[in-house]
Amino acid sequence: MFAKEMAKQSLPLLILCGIGAIAAGSILSLMNSPNPEQNLLLKIPGLLIVIPAVISMRGNISTALGSRLGSAYHLGIINKDNLFNNELKQNILGSLILSFIMSFLIGILAYIISFFMGLSSLPNPIIIISIVVIAGVLSGIILSFLTIGIIYLVFKRGYDPDNITGPALATFGDIITILCIFFSTFLIGGLI
Amino acid sequence: MIYSYKKIIKNSIPILFVAVLIEIFAGSILQGNQNLLIIFPIFLLSIPVINSVGGNIGSVLGARLTSGLHVGYVSANLKDRKMQENLLTAVIIGFFTYTILAIIIYYGASFANLTNNMTIFTFITIFVATGFLLICAVSLSSVLAAFISFKRGLDPDDMVAPVVTTVGDVLGILFLIIIINLIGVGI
Repeated sequence: MFAKEMAKQSLPLLILCGIGAIAAGSILSLMNSPNPEQNLLLKIPGLLIVIPAVISMRGNISTALGSRLGSAYHLGIINKDNLFNNELKQNILGSLILSFIMSFLIGILAYIISFFMGLSSLPNPIIIISIVVIAGVLSGIILSFLTIGIIYLVFKRGYDPDNITGPALATFGDIITILCIFFSTFLIGGLI
Repeated sequence: MIYSYKKIIKNSIPILFVAVLIEIFAGSILQGNQNLLIIFPIFLLSIPVINSVGGNIGSVLGARLTSGLHVGYVSANLKDRKMQENLLTAVIIGFFTYTILAIIIYYGASFANLTNNMTIFTFITIFVATGFLLICAVSLSSVLAAFISFKRGLDPDDMVAPVVTTVGDVLGILFLIIIINLIGVGI
């Protein structure tokens, strides 16, 4: 019974999310332009190292948020009529602070790793850390709003949030995060 | 009040830290294979798809198990029938999802000239084989992460998603590179 419900509620969404991931992948392959002058991966050394880490940090923090809110729903702490309470605020605040701490860490680690990998040109630590922190925190804020929206819609529809929030957040998260990396790379690239 | 932001941060930092370390390793694999990705951009395009489907299915499975553990209709035991039923469904759904997406990606990529004359058969074989291996690995780690954290008294909701997506990302990239080398794409 549970398996059937999982297939029915998840499969269409999974395929939709896969198509969303294709969009994310296309943005990624745009950054890898065949023209070396415009190839961001070649221009900002270390960018390829941080991309999986930033995307996954974003996914980890957001889906944990979605998963906690799913359990909160099953435990009866939040529901359709009682969504914007202090429990929700604590959850959002926690995930935003985590985003900042982790982004900073990713920037530092990427610099250290590219040092040890012996990349032909080393990244500037300030540039790579700024790119990661701006992308991480900006995508965190956008995704927190999105989470509340998704949870609200899921409640209205009467679906089980556990079947929906994870894939929806992970997929929108990937696209939004890659776009935020793009944005912050251009922003920082323009300032130097 | 059940949730506090300090407790959420305290619970999450260790696992997120480990996840970041592993992801940086995954990033280094990508950096090391940059030439392959430049010659066959279809694989760079595929990486978020492979990883996200794996992560999504693992997260759905994990979220279902954690709610089941919280409420009590799943017990933290590898012989639990509800868990096995959910695990099998996850693997079957994963196989179908990867096959459908492989076809969409191939036609989309050949439209944008990203395939570099690879046949559809080679691409689907590589993509679905990677996906199937990944789903098996991710589903198992989802079950283990949910059960172990629950038994230790940690909130499995804070643990499952990081474990699943991290394992998914690294193994997705690793499996893809290994299978491309096994099958061979002519470089």
